[in-house]
Amino acid sequence: MYLIASRHATFFRNKKPLFLAVSSLLNHWRLLLLVCCCIQLSAQTFAQNITLSEKKAPLKKVLENIKKQSGYSLFYEDKLLQKSSLVDISVKNATLIYTLDRVFDNQPLSYEIVGNKIISIKEKSNVQRQNIPIQANYFIPSTIIRGTVKNEAGEPLDGATVKIKNENISTFTKPNGMFEITIPEEKAVLMISYIGYQAQELPTGGQTEINIVMRSETAPTTEVVVIGYQTVRRKDLTGASVLVNTANSNKVTTSSVGESIQGLVPGVTVRNSGVPGGNSVIEIRGVASFTNNNPLYVIDGMIADANSTVNTDDVESIQVLKDASAAAIYGSRAASGVIIITTKKGKNGPSKVFFSAKYGAQKIPNRWDVMDAASYVATVKTQYQNSNVPLPAGIATSKFNTDWQDQVYRTGSDQDYNIGVSGGSAAGNYLMSASYYKNQGVIIGNDFERAALRINTQAKKGIVTIGENLMLSNTIGRNPGGGINAFYEAPQSLPIIPVKDPSYNTIPANPAGWGFGSTDIPSYATNYVANVALDKVKYNFAKLMGNAFLDIKLTNWLNYRFNAGLEVSFDYTKEIRDTGIWRFANQVPGTSVGENRSQFTNLLLEHTLNFNKSFGKHNINGVVGYTYQQYRTENTSGGRLNLLSANGQTYTTITSATGSPSAGSYTDLYRLQGYLGRVNYNYNDKYLVTLTGRIDQNSKFGKNYRQGEFYSAAAAWRISQENFFHAKWISDLKLRASYGKLGISSALDAFGSWPGLGVINSNPRAVYGVGQTPLPGAYQAQITNPDLRWEDRFITNIGFDASLFHNTILVTAEVYNSLSKNLIVGLPLGMYLGSGGGNPAANVGSIRNRGIELSVGYRHNTGDIKWDVSVNGTAIQNRIVSVGNQGAGKGYLDAGLTRSAIGQSVATWYLLQTNGIFQNQQEIDNYKNKAGKIIQPLAKPGDIKYVDNNGDGQINNDDRAYLGGAFPKFQGGAQFNASYMNFNLNIQLVGLFGNKIYNGIRRNLDSYQLTNFRSDISPWTTSNTNTTDPRLGLETGDPGITSNNIGNTDRWLENGSYLRLRNVELGYTFTKKLLGNIGFTGARIYISGQNLLTLTKYSGLDPDAAGNGILERGYDNGNWPASRRFSAGIQCDF
Amino acid sequence: MKRIVSIIGLGSLLLTTSCNKKLDIPNPNTPTTLDFWKTADNAQAGVNAIYSTFHRGGPARWWFFLTQIRADEGYSTSPNANLINNFDRFLITDYNFGEAVGSYADFYMGINRCNQVLDNVPGITMDDTRKQQLLGEAKFLRAYFYYQLGMIWGNVALQLSTSKPTDLPASSTQAQVFAQVEKDLTEAALVLPVSYNAANIGRATKGAAYGLLGKTYLQEHKYTDAVNAFKWFIDGAGQNIYALMPNYRDNFVITAENNKESVFEVQFAVNPTDNHDDDLAPGSDNLNYGSSLPPFFAPRPIGFTDGQARRWVTREFLQERTTDNKKDPRALASFIYDSADERGPQFSMAYNRTFADLSSSWSSDSLASPSKKDVFFRKMLNDFTDNGESFHSGNNYRFMRYADVLLMYAEALNATGQTALAYTYVDLVRQRAGLAKLSVVKPGLTQAQFLVQLKHERITELSGEGHRWEDLARWGDLGPQLVGRDPGFSNFVVGKHEFLPIPQSDIDINPNLKQNPNW
Repeated sequence: MYLIASRHATFFRNKKPLFLAVSSLLNHWRLLLLVCCCIQLSAQTFAQNITLSEKKAPLKKVLENIKKQSGYSLFYEDKLLQKSSLVDISVKNATLIYTLDRVFDNQPLSYEIVGNKIISIKEKSNVQRQNIPIQANYFIPSTIIRGTVKNEAGEPLDGATVKIKNENISTFTKPNGMFEITIPEEKAVLMISYIGYQAQELPTGGQTEINIVMRSETAPTTEVVVIGYQTVRRKDLTGASVLVNTANSNKVTTSSVGESIQGLVPGVTVRNSGVPGGNSVIEIRGVASFTNNNPLYVIDGMIADANSTVNTDDVESIQVLKDASAAAIYGSRAASGVIIITTKKGKNGPSKVFFSAKYGAQKIPNRWDVMDAASYVATVKTQYQNSNVPLPAGIATSKFNTDWQDQVYRTGSDQDYNIGVSGGSAAGNYLMSASYYKNQGVIIGNDFERAALRINTQAKKGIVTIGENLMLSNTIGRNPGGGINAFYEAPQSLPIIPVKDPSYNTIPANPAGWGFGSTDIPSYATNYVANVALDKVKYNFAKLMGNAFLDIKLTNWLNYRFNAGLEVSFDYTKEIRDTGIWRFANQVPGTSVGENRSQFTNLLLEHTLNFNKSFGKHNINGVVGYTYQQYRTENTSGGRLNLLSANGQTYTTITSATGSPSAGSYTDLYRLQGYLGRVNYNYNDKYLVTLTGRIDQNSKFGKNYRQGEFYSAAAAWRISQENFFHAKWISDLKLRASYGKLGISSALDAFGSWPGLGVINSNPRAVYGVGQTPLPGAYQAQITNPDLRWEDRFITNIGFDASLFHNTILVTAEVYNSLSKNLIVGLPLGMYLGSGGGNPAANVGSIRNRGIELSVGYRHNTGDIKWDVSVNGTAIQNRIVSVGNQGAGKGYLDAGLTRSAIGQSVATWYLLQTNGIFQNQQEIDNYKNKAGKIIQPLAKPGDIKYVDNNGDGQINNDDRAYLGGAFPKFQGGAQFNASYMNFNLNIQLVGLFGNKIYNGIRRNLDSYQLTNFRSDISPWTTSNTNTTDPRLGLETGDPGITSNNIGNTDRWLENGSYLRLRNVELGYTFTKKLLGNIGFTGARIYISGQNLLTLTKYSGLDPDAAGNGILERGYDNGNWPASRRFSAGIQCDF
Repeated sequence: MKRIVSIIGLGSLLLTTSCNKKLDIPNPNTPTTLDFWKTADNAQAGVNAIYSTFHRGGPARWWFFLTQIRADEGYSTSPNANLINNFDRFLITDYNFGEAVGSYADFYMGINRCNQVLDNVPGITMDDTRKQQLLGEAKFLRAYFYYQLGMIWGNVALQLSTSKPTDLPASSTQAQVFAQVEKDLTEAALVLPVSYNAANIGRATKGAAYGLLGKTYLQEHKYTDAVNAFKWFIDGAGQNIYALMPNYRDNFVITAENNKESVFEVQFAVNPTDNHDDDLAPGSDNLNYGSSLPPFFAPRPIGFTDGQARRWVTREFLQERTTDNKKDPRALASFIYDSADERGPQFSMAYNRTFADLSSSWSSDSLASPSKKDVFFRKMLNDFTDNGESFHSGNNYRFMRYADVLLMYAEALNATGQTALAYTYVDLVRQRAGLAKLSVVKPGLTQAQFLVQLKHERITELSGEGHRWEDLARWGDLGPQLVGRDPGFSNFVVGKHEFLPIPQSDIDINPNLKQNPNW
């Protein structure tokens, strides 16, 4: 019944008695304000006090009674009163206006007081009634006005600005909200403003005392925020948690929620994947685990992954929990931080239909500047000449000139449509929305689309509230298979090779004539266009996610809630491999089809009791609860070689294929249960204490460690409330401190549901007996760790929240020291243990993160140009404390080009150092160690000189050094919003500083071996010595060139710092005046540009490189760069 | 209201209590330790897995380099200098040398298999006799592995329970290791069967346990204990079980495996479809459960000759002739060389060819064909049945023969002053070879003289069976003085090279391990 939409509230009210008792939130507020004003005014204006008591009385009878008591005349048409409904009223000594308001509240009619003595009855309209009763000529003039400014909760506002319109007179309210102002004449207009509240103008109308209620805008200090199983006033928070301003995050086009908060939250590092439908990498407060640093997501109380299957437009608010106090309620899964996502709900009021559409075009902002065919041939000729090797005939004679980047990059697009309806009353609310998002990637063959439906409803009856949040989504993505990276292949592909040409038909297994290298034109680059054509992967994830809850108000201070959540995902992936090869000397693969189906079910059941009670100045609230969750995955895969082709058509079902079939399946199943509790104590808003505890049991953990206890304690002191606190410019100052222990159980994700359980190996064979036939043996071959468990993180956090200069500046600062312990690291085993392979995971590592976070906001809320700016920054110091027993003298973990060593940051580059280029033979001969040994005897002039760090007279891996980390030392973001008349502007900046990126693509190009060249290379020659590029030559038989190409050197290590203009959006909001005729209540159009500008020294495509897992974070081996997007959109509701 | 509260309370309680059990979730994908060690079949499979250890690369190949090539009876002419330096010349720089460490790792893998059986089988409800037998087999095999580790690496870690990744056992002395071996064997001897039926022949017997127990005591010079252990064969329950095969050669051919002289044999068989050696890898249908040694020891051009025998050993057979005036037949059974048949290379047969043919037919390249100076260990080869060698020899390795037991018994008797009695058992061995009784040829030897004679008897009876190193160690004969027989011993440092270095990787991981003296 909530689904019937109507633009006419009156109509709605008449038809739907359920709504009779309610008006919209907006109307409530107006009424409240009106009542307040009336009560104040009544003493001086209308002496007549009315007493009435009627039940189901006709309106006319009631009005006649009022007329009699007040002495006012009544003016109305009889016809009008026919529309009226019966009146229930009981007032005693009430003012006229109060009485009239009660009488007309549920009527389709409205009243107006005309002149001094007439009550006029008319049809209800949008008349602003609060201005009506002010009848200036009735009052005694006065020059001093006194009053109070309070918020909706009745709390006095300290430091609100009270100004006389068109005069240079103003004052501020005192801490108790009182003000006093002198007006030059009796008909002045007061302008009241306060940060976070809607500014008001109020004619004094001759009053001497005016009490004003301010309506919050998005008032940060009175906001109620979700902190996990509970909501509290934002001002009462004792932990480090950040409410993301979704006004900013929603302005960025992203496929996942995580990506949308890049740069918005201090301490949260987001790295984009760039891939359509890809998920970004998020780290909260640094890397605290060697294995997994993904935060925990809670969506409307459902613990589930907020990946790209979730529509970002459905998000109402995002809360990031960072410290132990904030996150401990989530126990063993909280240590990497918690992101609480609340989706949009219906609000009290008439039905509102909303619609938005956005279209955007996107491109890769940079591309590699590589040579065209002519320059390439010229360069490669020199190269072969230098090495005295005859040029392969095909190179000189090729007639092609292919720009491979042109071939694989394209202009991509985003489309994003949302339509929905919402509404509600005190008895319930609803929101339905449908959305469609499509991203055509900037690389050919890569697409993503998502259609989603959301239904959030809530109904209330007596003490019981029942609600649900439901999301259905279907995502479809396409990309080529085979693990080929376009950003790696396209720059290095030779321009003299065609994408496709009949001359390549002669190569076996290449019927389509795809171009790639040959013995005549050696190249081992992959033809990405061929890859797209020959290997197609399509995935389809259908997901249902939601939760339903039953809330019972047991007493006025105690609520019970049962929450049941369900996430079901049906994932399907199909890969079809067609005939043909895409790379020179490819082993000819068979054609094949493979399918993978997976059903994932995540069930959550929770019982919680919430309490909230005040005893005088003592307020205590909190929650206790029990939670149970089960995750199950059933996966089936099948496939077959040799697709059947008939009459030009290729059949792509498994059954139609003719080769050997393969099939497999597995089940993953784990459960966890937890007992949780939190108590918040608050004395007089001055002293706040929060104690949190959680006991978790997880079936994944080893039996001896199945149960974990997590806790935190936090205290806050609102020092600005103290009598001794006199700093006028500080409106509010709260000091906070917390300590606690959290767990990281996601570290076990990589090990499946039974990480510590020994698997029986049934492969051994004994051969006794006369026949010596093989007899099966079985035992636990691989030693696993039965004591495997979650990782621990101990966090100390100290911070403050301050409102300065009459709340125009808000500052939050945090300092933390977190020590992760019992981190999972692969442990090398002594042979005396007799393990059958593999280093078992053990909880032996430790990492410390220390950090400072600061965010500052300034809001200029008066005048024609309103603007606000917020800036946040984080400095993180990451140090490895222990890597467990890796063996004597081995206090590190190696991963590719990095080493994570004790005392260093995780993933520190561990590389050889270069020191310029040998300019002549003399330099080479003189480059000796102390013992006189020539260090690079095989080098030639023009070769790279390496630093012999250990002085042993030779260059090898023992000379590597720590050369900087992949994680930023400092990161920040800034947001700017401004509005002028109907225009509004949003600008967002993000930046990372102090990190190093290994540019794997440039390494490949600068190897000079069988790849295209950078256009701007300047190889060393005897006449070109002032260069950083070594001499040009072939590796074959030339150890000098081979040595120039050593991969693990600092030649390709670059400064990864960048500052990026992440988003610029200009919008125009249509006024109601403009919209009146078409029935819209709000409409906005905008254009935006994303990633328009990036300031960086990094020479690769994008310094926002997620890299290769945690241990090789900054390794850019063809990271998908963030696209530059231009979008235009419209949002409207009616 | 009260009703609601009580329903909620009850509901929560039910949910909570029922969930505790739900956290024990069986893994449906593969058997795990939770599902295993429940039945007699599991116990049997566990023990089978221990026997499977013998087919791994260490025990089935590299082990013989450590016991034969390193001793004075063998040497290496491998093109791989590492094999020569590590296995013959006592030139060891890499303490993690894979070919040596492989045996160490495999023996410990076997020990882990034993430990799992010993930890888990006692809890299985099954026929007790069978259970005790299986536990006995596991103890015997653990003793076997520790005996070898103690023999070659000396002071190794004793890991006696199912391994956990955080276990850091300390070094034990060789004496402690052997004490554990003796304990396991003593317990095993009580419960192992005297013999097996046809389906189970080849498994560890009571005799195997007593034999290895006696051998261990002897190695430790605990002669009285050794005598007592060996007595089981002479006048105990074992006296009617074992006998010497009339034909000495039958002890080394695939057609007479597990014969009445056999005390313990490592069982090898040919898997015609084999393609891998790793008994833990999937594809057990293609597992090689034969020995890969023969290609490494076989004469060129049949094998690679990574290991071969010293010439001096063959001269030991010339000291005496048989009672019918022939060359000691054991020379021919033990070695392939130009004059294995005293008539010379034209008559000395190997792989159905004459030695002359073998040495000339292929190439003039000295590395491709054997010279007349070359001598090859024959006992584990297959030239009796085959014309070539492969990496999957089915010919069992005779770890302990009754003849060895007799000679060890004699050695123990002599050491305890019962030299006269010792003659009896040496004579049995000599007579089977066709030699005259020692009591006739050399009567009245002193204890010391008798030991010198025994050393000769052991060379002629047991050469090329993997016992030379432990014999030299037991007699205190390891030292640079052996350089005359084996030039590799010029590098031998007394007090150091008796043991191999403990693998450095283990020392690095485990601070409780100590490196062997002087390494």
